[in-house]
Amino acid sequence: MKLAVNRRQLLKGIMGAGGAVAGGLVCSVAAEEHPAYPVASPDAVGMLYDNTKCTGCRACMTACSEANGLPAETLCPIDPAISTGLWDVPADLDSKTKNIIKLYREKDGDNFSFVKRQCMHCLDPACVTGCPFGALKKNTWGAVTWNSSFCIGCRYCEVACPFDVPKFQWDQWNPKIVKCELCFDQRLKNNQEPACTAVCPTRAVIFGNRNHLLAEAKQRIADTPGKYFEGRVYGEHEAGGTQVLYLSGVAFDKIGLPKLGNTSLGHYATKVSSVIYKWLSGPIVVAGILGSVIKRNWKRHEAEAVEAEKETGLPEQL
Amino acid sequence: MNANGTAGSTLVNHWQRGVPVYREAVVETPFLFFSAWAAVGLALALVRVLSPLGPFSGMNDAYAWGIWKTFNVMTLTALGSGPLAIGMAAWVFNCRKLHVVMRTALVSGFLFYAAGLVALGGDVGRPWNFWHVIFPWNWNTHSAMLEVAVCMPLYCAMFLGFENLPMLLERIYYTGNGRVKTNLRRWAPTLKRIYPYMITGAYVLPVMHQSSLGALLLLAGNKIDPLWQSPALPLLYLLAAFVCGSGFVTFVLLIACLRYSRRLDIGLLSELGNVISVSCFVFLAVRFADLIVRQQLGRAFVFDNMSVLLLLETGLILIPAIALRNPKTRETPRQLLLTAISACLGGMVFRYVPTTVAFSPANRAMYFPSTPELLISIGYISLVLAVFGIAVKYFAVLPGELSEWNQMSKVFSERYRKLRTNKDTSWLASLLTR
Repeated sequence: MKLAVNRRQLLKGIMGAGGAVAGGLVCSVAAEEHPAYPVASPDAVGMLYDNTKCTGCRACMTACSEANGLPAETLCPIDPAISTGLWDVPADLDSKTKNIIKLYREKDGDNFSFVKRQCMHCLDPACVTGCPFGALKKNTWGAVTWNSSFCIGCRYCEVACPFDVPKFQWDQWNPKIVKCELCFDQRLKNNQEPACTAVCPTRAVIFGNRNHLLAEAKQRIADTPGKYFEGRVYGEHEAGGTQVLYLSGVAFDKIGLPKLGNTSLGHYATKVSSVIYKWLSGPIVVAGILGSVIKRNWKRHEAEAVEAEKETGLPEQL
Repeated sequence: MNANGTAGSTLVNHWQRGVPVYREAVVETPFLFFSAWAAVGLALALVRVLSPLGPFSGMNDAYAWGIWKTFNVMTLTALGSGPLAIGMAAWVFNCRKLHVVMRTALVSGFLFYAAGLVALGGDVGRPWNFWHVIFPWNWNTHSAMLEVAVCMPLYCAMFLGFENLPMLLERIYYTGNGRVKTNLRRWAPTLKRIYPYMITGAYVLPVMHQSSLGALLLLAGNKIDPLWQSPALPLLYLLAAFVCGSGFVTFVLLIACLRYSRRLDIGLLSELGNVISVSCFVFLAVRFADLIVRQQLGRAFVFDNMSVLLLLETGLILIPAIALRNPKTRETPRQLLLTAISACLGGMVFRYVPTTVAFSPANRAMYFPSTPELLISIGYISLVLAVFGIAVKYFAVLPGELSEWNQMSKVFSERYRKLRTNKDTSWLASLLTR
């Protein structure tokens, strides 16, 4: 019996089906986009930190370490003299510190200010965009969380984060990425607010819906004109917007909040590639063009190779 | 000879086919030298497998990527892009002379890629989670890192592996017995049938991941100096791969032929010089068009550290671009060698600088590779050189004349005759005699 399809047709069919499956997969994963100016989802939660209210008591740091089971950082890289091994003296966010209160003091003058640093929970986080297997993801309520079973430890999140937040356990053989997750597993899931906001005695940092917090911050600015730097909320637009918002009495860059553009980094990084790689169309088109040219040149090359073999008695070398 | 005897045919060259290096002993001083460095590097790499990254490397949270990623992968795979640069020139742009130097490009390219991948394996903190790569539903398709993680091993193992296969099979054919020969002859047509499709893939994939290496830096945003941070980085990284790839193949050919006293094919080398020059011009055109569009051109000439680096990189690429337009330069081996080195260095400076030197996280931190980190990095490079030195002796890699091939086969058949009279026909014996 003669087969209805010859081998070439069968091969083409298999390749076509494979391509369709691959294409389908690519489409299904590539559902979400990276708009230049992302909009917070209505249920996005966050924190508002107002450093004019902060007394620097560091209760939030203790509460954070306790809630997250973090060990004390007893080695202070800035001042070895205070590294007595007794107290928690981190100099900055590190693999044992997800939340820190830092002090900024003007070089000449009495002005000073505290600043609380932790993950900003961006609306379109660069770390999530870069994470190859989705270990970091934008979870429920917009919390940016880390899943150990998908992380390969490439540290692209550290390179990408404009706020230098994710930290890597350099001293561990099976290292984790350590960053504030808004106490997602520890508290948020159980309808509790994050540990830091829960303990703040002056309510310098408060927890809530991002839209409500933004309204509250703008209300404070309106109520006390001239009190807050630039009369604006840091995080409303920075890097496409963050779910942690700041009000500050001193310049943002002085307390370590970097000057950033308003577009999301994810948008900047993927605006061209998302078009080229849509349904793998770019690579397929390039393959088609190259393939047809190569096929033509290949035929000519083979013809010449046959000639040369006749002449020298040696087969061609590919 | 071609029917009408025109120059520029695929096979009629001074250099006509790859010929194993057969006069020299397998173990030579440079081989021992590089093997020693490779051994030190690999031993330390093994220690790293058992040790956390922290005490071992100079990396920190601000400079989370050290030289294993930024130099061994992001910079050196540009040197390993010879198969892309020369392959596209030969198969797509029809520079048919260049076919004979493809094997030099393929072996060196494969080795640089393989070493880069090994470096990457030792650099990541949780390699045991890498198995997710085989399940596309675990992919974050927005991530340039994913593109690199999928594309690079696939290209190295499947496409570069396939392209290097004929060379391997050829050796097995010539050293094998009757049954091996029959089997190989039976499979040869299949191999040739899929060959054009495979080389198409072998050009599409590196175009994708070489540009993705540049795309990795986009997310770093304004941590990278605006002289480098640009939406054109992916394209520039790809073009730099062409500059480095063509330059490095030329460099390797010249050095290896000098070392093993092969006669040079000036016509072909001149063609390679042409490829370098064109690659350099295209790179510079895009580089400066980008600087002008982003209004950074003025900053390029303020002569601060960053501007000097940019000018250094530009100079290193501009010299070969212009000098190699002159046929005399292209045809003078010494000048060709120097300009090829210049192109390689220029491309490497461009690829390396934005990852480390022009990368300044807000946190005032420092990074300098630790001694073991450096030794491992040097070890991987030495491994490439040592293996390359062996490969050219066992396989028909370096190009030579037909007479060279005939002489080689005479020497070898003499050795085999002696072996057969000693009744030793094992593959190992043939390996020892080459």
